[in-house]
Amino acid sequence: MNRFDEELKLALRREEPSPDFTDRVMARIAELQKQEKPREKTDWLRKVVEFFQPPRMKWAMAGAMAVVLLIAGFGVHRSRENERRRQAEIAEGERAKEQLMLAMRIASAKLNIAQKKVYETARHEGESK
Amino acid sequence: MQRADDTLSRAKDGDQTAFADLVREHQAMVFSMAHNFSRDRAAAEDVAQEVFIHLYQNLRSIESPAHLKFWLRRVTGHRCIDHARKQKMKTVSVDDAPEPVAPAVFRDSLMTEALRRIVATLPEKPRLVVTLRYQEDLDPTEIAELLEMPLNTVKSHLRRSLTILREKVTRSLGEIKV
Repeated sequence: MNRFDEELKLALRREEPSPDFTDRVMARIAELQKQEKPREKTDWLRKVVEFFQPPRMKWAMAGAMAVVLLIAGFGVHRSRENERRRQAEIAEGERAKEQLMLAMRIASAKLNIAQKKVYETARHEGESK
Repeated sequence: MQRADDTLSRAKDGDQTAFADLVREHQAMVFSMAHNFSRDRAAAEDVAQEVFIHLYQNLRSIESPAHLKFWLRRVTGHRCIDHARKQKMKTVSVDDAPEPVAPAVFRDSLMTEALRRIVATLPEKPRLVVTLRYQEDLDPTEIAELLEMPLNTVKSHLRRSLTILREKVTRSLGEIKV
C-alpha cells in the first residue's frame, strides 16, 4: 500500500453520525409499530370491505358471469317456448282427430239412413208387383 | 463473537434494546458509506436510517453477525445509489471548485478534503467500489461478491478511479507530490 492509498484510507475513514442517531432510528421504528397495530385490528374489516369493493379483475369476472347467465336464461326460455309449441301442436292434433271422428260418425249415420231408405223403397216396389 | 450472536438473537426475538445495540455497533460503518458516497451529512443520515429500518423489517432473514455486516454493506450500497438517483444529489465537480492554495501546514487536511470531494464526483459504481476498498478495507474479491459484480470489473473500476483521483488531486493541489 503506497502513500496515496494511505491518504485515501484517511480521507474515507469511518465517522460517527449525530449523537442522537440511534434514538432517532428507534423512534421511527416505534412510530412504524404504532401504525402497524391498528392496521392488524382492522384487517378482517378491510377484507370484508374489499370483498364488496371488487377491484377491476373482480368486475371483469362479474361481467363474464352476467354474460353466462344471460346465455343460460335465453337457452331456458327458448327450450320452454319449444315445449309450449309442441304441446299446442299436440292439442291441435287431438282437436282435429276428434272433429274427424265426429264427421265420420255423422257420415256413417247418414249412410245408414240412406241405406235403410233404399232398402225400404226396394221392398215396397216388390210388394206392389 | 458470542456476545454479537447473543445481541442478534435477542434483537430477532423482539428485544428493542438489543436492536438499538446493533444500530450503535454498525452505525459508523453504514453512515460513513453513505457520507463518503454523497458528502452530504443530512442525506447520509437519511440513508442510514432507511437502512436500519429495513434491517428491522428483515431481521428474521439475518443468519449471523457476519451475515449482518455483509447485508448492511450490500443494502447501504444499493440505497446510496437509489438515493442518489432519486434525489439527484448534487455532487461538486472538482473542475468547478476553486483551486485551493496549499501552504505546507494545511497540506494534509487539504489533501484529505480534496480526496473526499473528488471521490464524490466519481460515477456511482466506481465510487461505491472505492468506498468499500478504502473505508471498509475490503479486497476486490469481497467487493465483487458484495456488489454481485465480476472481479475484473471491480479491478478496472479501482484502477481507473485511482488514475482519475491522482490526476484531479494533483490538479487541485498544484504541484504537491501525491
